[in-house]
Amino acid sequence: MSVLRRMYRNETSVPFAKLWKPVGLCSLLVLIISVSSLGFRGLNLGLEFEGGGAWEVEASGIEVEQVRNALPQSVSDAARIQTGGGVLRVRIELSKAAQTSLQEGESGGDIVQEVTAALVVVTGQDESAISVSTAGPSWGEEITDKAINALIVFFIVIALYITIRLRWEMAVGALLAVAHDILITIGLYALFQFEVTPPTVIAFLTIMGYSLYDTLVVFDKVRDNEHMLANSKLTYTLVVEKALNQVFMRSVNTSITSILPVVSVLVVGSGIMGAATLREFALALLIGLIIGTFSSLFVAAPTATFLRNRFGDADSDSNRSYRLSEAVKKKSKNSQVVVKTPSNPAIPPRPRKKRK
Amino acid sequence: MKRQVLLPLLAILIIVGGLFGWSEAAGNDVLLGLDLKGGAEVVLEPVEDTELSGDALDEALDKSVEIIRNRVDGLGVAEPDITRQGNRIVVQLPGVEDQRRALEVVGQTAELRFRPVCAILPAVPIKLDEANNQTSDGANDGPVGILPTDQDELPAEGPEGSESSTMGSTPDGIGCENLGFVPQDALGMENTEADDDEAENSVIFPLLDSEGNPYQRLLLGRTMLTGASLETADASFAGGFEWQVLPVFRSGADGIDLFNAAANACYNRNSKCQTGQLAIVLDGVIESAPTVNTPFFERDQIVISGNFDQNRAEDTALVLKYGSLPLEFGDPTDPTSGSRVRLVSATLGQDSLDAGVTAGLVGLALVALYMIAYYKLLGLAAMLSLAVSGTMLWVILSWLSETRSLALTLAGVVGLIVSIGTSLDSNVVYFEHLKEDIRNGRTLRSAVDQSFPIAFKTIFWANLASIIGAAILYFLTVGSVRGFALMLGLASILDLVATYFFLRPVVKLMGMQKAIQDRSWLSGLPLSVGEES
Repeated sequence: MSVLRRMYRNETSVPFAKLWKPVGLCSLLVLIISVSSLGFRGLNLGLEFEGGGAWEVEASGIEVEQVRNALPQSVSDAARIQTGGGVLRVRIELSKAAQTSLQEGESGGDIVQEVTAALVVVTGQDESAISVSTAGPSWGEEITDKAINALIVFFIVIALYITIRLRWEMAVGALLAVAHDILITIGLYALFQFEVTPPTVIAFLTIMGYSLYDTLVVFDKVRDNEHMLANSKLTYTLVVEKALNQVFMRSVNTSITSILPVVSVLVVGSGIMGAATLREFALALLIGLIIGTFSSLFVAAPTATFLRNRFGDADSDSNRSYRLSEAVKKKSKNSQVVVKTPSNPAIPPRPRKKRK
Repeated sequence: MKRQVLLPLLAILIIVGGLFGWSEAAGNDVLLGLDLKGGAEVVLEPVEDTELSGDALDEALDKSVEIIRNRVDGLGVAEPDITRQGNRIVVQLPGVEDQRRALEVVGQTAELRFRPVCAILPAVPIKLDEANNQTSDGANDGPVGILPTDQDELPAEGPEGSESSTMGSTPDGIGCENLGFVPQDALGMENTEADDDEAENSVIFPLLDSEGNPYQRLLLGRTMLTGASLETADASFAGGFEWQVLPVFRSGADGIDLFNAAANACYNRNSKCQTGQLAIVLDGVIESAPTVNTPFFERDQIVISGNFDQNRAEDTALVLKYGSLPLEFGDPTDPTSGSRVRLVSATLGQDSLDAGVTAGLVGLALVALYMIAYYKLLGLAAMLSLAVSGTMLWVILSWLSETRSLALTLAGVVGLIVSIGTSLDSNVVYFEHLKEDIRNGRTLRSAVDQSFPIAFKTIFWANLASIIGAAILYFLTVGSVRGFALMLGLASILDLVATYFFLRPVVKLMGMQKAIQDRSWLSGLPLSVGEES
């Protein structure tokens, strides 16, 4: 049987446990690269974090140099000018320019007006056709501070939630996976010096939500299979591995259905139609979604398994009552287990239909 | 049995369809944020050296929001949104056409001051020695400069009172008295800098013509009253031929009495107001400098007429009405202040919207192709379920737009596109369970019933985590992150609703069809073991 066909029929038996170590090492390597590039290169922060101005106007056939020459002297060197997709973009770190001109006794507000006026001349567009945004340096910081505060609360609440609902080992695994995803995504942004804007921060938050959701689906399956510890004397590692195989196709399919729209935003929205803001969202999302699926299988699961093997109480497993997944009550082909319904008193008898 | 499935299915379709119909009939429509529609956003932050703090600051901010809201209403923007976020005031004016004007109206932060005109000066300062030569024969008691004035007039509308002589005398040392220099000296003085524009100083400001070029300068005396004395003001098109501004003063000692004292001084052209003109000044700009034609006014019978076009009359009325904010805010166009501004051109907003919608549709089509190729009829059911939750989301969004003026921003559009993938996940989880059950020997019919509760449990707890996360983000953050959190939370809840009330009965219905049970290529499910043998 071809691999694809086996995958389609959920009959894969990927030896996840064997892969954890090598894949984990690769993951660790990427993580180290990410964190160190974050440390050494830092993030390329957008104007919302630096304090500055951005102009956008529809214009075609205009050269960068042409625009640069038209801009006021005090800012023309510092301006980042982009043309493409029929849109001219100018970004200027205004806080420096404003400080310079303040020293020269002019007020900072004039620069914004001057640049706008210069763009009106060079593009021949009406002033109302030009999008302008300015931001003080404090704003981006504040929104990030708030987001970080929210994150801390989020981590605590989710840790409690998973501990109550599943197990504390899983809480640690899930949060480690989330941290792993965020760190790698931000690290890649530092490595390639992609610009970080408020939309990017939102995208980072989305990644977190997605990663967590994905991990919980995987862990739920693991928990459903935990009865095998008692019933078929499997080791915890094997139970997890089986669960991962069972959810493997779901992970693949969910990734595909999540990633396709994001790819469409990246290629169609920002690539073909030239909406720059869309790229700021989609790039981070694309990276994050891929890593998010990966980390559920290769970060969250091994962490939870390791902790569980190390600290878990084997006796409690046999005493603990599990709600059995109906599906696994049947004889499974892969494991030579026969689970008879009465063997576990916690399993309610299959209810009869009321009306048939 | 079939009826048991069909009824809830019909019910949910009718409910969703009915909600959609209601929403359309009520004319609810999703508002577009200004990054999609074009418009202006101004965020005002108090200047750092503001003396207020605690409750006083709080009150001043609330008051400012109120004043800005009133000013903005005068602009005629369809859906203005003025909110406080901490110590900031966020003003959103989606679709506003004249963005510069909006900026000016919102950003005016200074105190409105009534100052007497002490002298009318030429537009350009004249060197002192020349000035002395020119005006050596000039009288000390009259206006300097012989330029024609086309200032606005303040005709009598109040009763001509004999009590004028007894009414309100201004305290000493205000107006044009005791300036410390004679008006002739002012000929050589530069215009007053913004920093020196204090209520108790005399100032020199230019009068601008309609092109914005100075044609005169006025030497203005100390402030005689401020905008605090005003109650309201209106612009009206009087007699069908000219625009007028109608200010109404508060009654009592802090209102009309102060104004009448000033008017009296100007009417009698005494030393406090030698030219008879009373200038209305806001933030270094002379809004109007009418001549006072009556010594006494009733508080609601005052008319300012003159060279007003509609815009100027309305602007002047707005300035009079809402002239002073209780707080000073940073200049939004100055990047070193905390305030900021965003102007989005309508065409670029439209471009972003088009790009977002096209990308969304292409993404949706790709996902639909994949789902149907992989899950066949089940895939189709999943797409229908997505349509159901999408419709509900649209109804809720347009309802929120209508009632809470929540606007869909580009971040929201991206959130919606991302939620396509995550919403389908609940379907995928269910279908994979179904396949596994059937492979383990169940018939399609019983597998459909048995898998759902287990799959739904997984979906429920995972979505609950998303909802908790969204709620935390919503309550602890501000601005666009908040809008995103709302979208995430809504999508998660609706995902659960659509899965439980739509997908479950649809799949159940499919499981009952003999035609589907026997055709693996149609259902996308393996044949049951039992049926194979």
